[in-house]
Amino acid sequence: MEARPQPQDDPELLARFTERIAAGDQIEAGEWLPGEYRFEAQRLIQMHANSEIMGALPEREWIPRAPTLARKMALTAKVQDEVGHGMLLYRVAETLGRTREEMIAELVEGRARFHNVFHYPAETWADVAIIQVFVDGAAMQTQGALRSCSYAPYARVLKRICYEEDFHIQLGLDVWRTLAEGTPRQRAMLQDALRRWWTPLIHFFGMPDRVSPHTEKMLAWRIKVKSNEELRQQFLRRFVPIILEYGLEVPDPGLRRVDGEDRYVYTEPDWEELKRVGRNGGPKSAERLALRQRFYRQHAWVREAVIQWAAA
Amino acid sequence: MGRGVSAEEPPEGAREPAGGGAVRGGDASGAAGRGGSWEGRLDAPPDVWAVFLQARTRDPHIHVGDVHAPDAEMALLVAKENYTRRDPCVNLWVVRAGEIHATTEDAAEMFAPATDKSYRFGGSYRKQQQIYHSGWRLSHRDEDQ
Amino acid sequence: MSGTARAAADPRVDAAFREWLLRAADDELIIGHRHSEWTGFGPDIESDVALSSIAQEEIGHARAFYAQLAAGGGDADRLAFARAPAEYRHATLMERENDGWEWSIVRLVLYERYEAERLRLLSASGQEPAAGLARTLLREERYHALFADAWLTRLARGREEGHRKVQAALEAAWPEALGLFEETDADATLVAARIVDAPAAQRRRWDAAVRQVLEPCGLVIPSASPKEGGRRGRHTPEFDRLHDQMTEVWRSDPEARW
Repeated sequence: MEARPQPQDDPELLARFTERIAAGDQIEAGEWLPGEYRFEAQRLIQMHANSEIMGALPEREWIPRAPTLARKMALTAKVQDEVGHGMLLYRVAETLGRTREEMIAELVEGRARFHNVFHYPAETWADVAIIQVFVDGAAMQTQGALRSCSYAPYARVLKRICYEEDFHIQLGLDVWRTLAEGTPRQRAMLQDALRRWWTPLIHFFGMPDRVSPHTEKMLAWRIKVKSNEELRQQFLRRFVPIILEYGLEVPDPGLRRVDGEDRYVYTEPDWEELKRVGRNGGPKSAERLALRQRFYRQHAWVREAVIQWAAA
Repeated sequence: MGRGVSAEEPPEGAREPAGGGAVRGGDASGAAGRGGSWEGRLDAPPDVWAVFLQARTRDPHIHVGDVHAPDAEMALLVAKENYTRRDPCVNLWVVRAGEIHATTEDAAEMFAPATDKSYRFGGSYRKQQQIYHSGWRLSHRDEDQ
Repeated sequence: MSGTARAAADPRVDAAFREWLLRAADDELIIGHRHSEWTGFGPDIESDVALSSIAQEEIGHARAFYAQLAAGGGDADRLAFARAPAEYRHATLMERENDGWEWSIVRLVLYERYEAERLRLLSASGQEPAAGLARTLLREERYHALFADAWLTRLARGREEGHRKVQAALEAAWPEALGLFEETDADATLVAARIVDAPAAQRRRWDAAVRQVLEPCGLVIPSASPKEGGRRGRHTPEFDRLHDQMTEVWRSDPEARW
């Protein structure tokens, strides 16, 4: 990981920039940016792009096994969307100064990060339902909030991404419903999948934000729009009722709604696990990165060939 | 990037290029700014193509985003599946993003009317103000209207 | 080629026609399955997305054919998932694992021209509603061919190493591509009923069509004997593995709703 840059920003430009953001303005590609803003925004968007690409891996294992023709097409389309989101996001990250080639090379070499949830296995067909409803649902909270971030190219792409994620959640709810209302074995499979994914879902939003100058700046610059805890609560408010509606169990016995409030308390998860996973030390991290690397190398000659042909 | 698809700002707020890249004006860093150029080429990698989609006959072509591709034919082929899976389309254009010439953010001020142009609006100042302050959306999607 | 006899009128002709449709359904399902396996692993993101769409369309075509075959009772999913491997009628070319991007592209180039021709014959056969379905599906096939041809050209004419790899893939694919034209009793019945023309004539047209894209790429057309078996349900261990995986969840409870 690169060290945080120490930019010598022109104070007048910085002041003007800060004013514009404070006024609710969005910045377009190509405009002047403070060094730290560029760094933080680029890192955030690149991690998001990486997550879409790596996020395809758990679900795509079930494409060949999808149990009906309709599910087969729908799951392929859903995973295709994620890959497409990666494309859109790398392009945005590119406008902040790195090439797509660089970013992908960094990812497949294991030197870049992607969201915790995609380091875990998708063990059964029911995991597909959990991923499409809850993982995508969690991502929607963050992505939805960031539609009002200050970097306009990112905000625009997020609008499109949220539009498509909504379809994914609807698809996921259909699988969820089918399993929840299905045979005892199907219900048990669904409950078990939910149990295995619960901690990664709670982890997804990150530790509650420390009050720090860094966090304050990210919020002021609207690179961060809502706090981690706000987003986690949003997620719980929307998705816990779905679990209860179908008579399934929330895997955290300590989770409950606070009386008279729109807020949940939950058992503090093990944050060390999140840190480990964040360093690419999750249960599937090494395997998935190796898989990506294998194909990346296998395709090297293909990349060369198309460049040669175009140049001829 | 999809600058034209969801242009929520009214024209008076409209700024720089319909592309995702920096504008290379006189300033090598691509930064708009003081004493800088008012126009230049978009600063995009050579293999990035801007994609313009025409939803239905008679619609204008709208910039919906970009693709990376080695050449124009491949750009059109991949643009079909990357940008028209859920959107109606009868025609696509692609152009290398780096070939797009654009005004800079610096020049945005130039576009906003300073003096009264109500003579263009049938003499109605109110009409002019209404148009410049409305949420005018240029989009091929009905739900964006 | 217009078939004036309604296939349904003669049970033998009907059975032969259904076998022909089943080949189409199984070819599309299995190649669609193989293409769907590329999702997330393509050489570039844009082509990954494009081939994934092709895969979805192929599976969709399979579903449409199965639905027509099942119209008398049963359902498309049962046809797709409930049969034993020896009951599938796809050519063995489809079941081959994705051995590199060039392999899948070469297979698609060879298959596309076969499939387009099959759909043209079907749309001219006079056998409704299958003929109407074929006319609709043809509209999607054009893009599949454009995509495959564009990739073939770039791989085969890019550089020497690529050219060798593509030629090798073509050598490997050719015998089983000829297997697309494997004949069973059904073919003779359909020819006699004037629903299609002879497989030999179909194969000649296919050969001319694929030459048009292979030769400009400087590729040498292999001379090899056909490797057959698929049309008679004689598949390979690769298909056993594919079938196992494809039906794994479905088989875990065939009576459940999924």
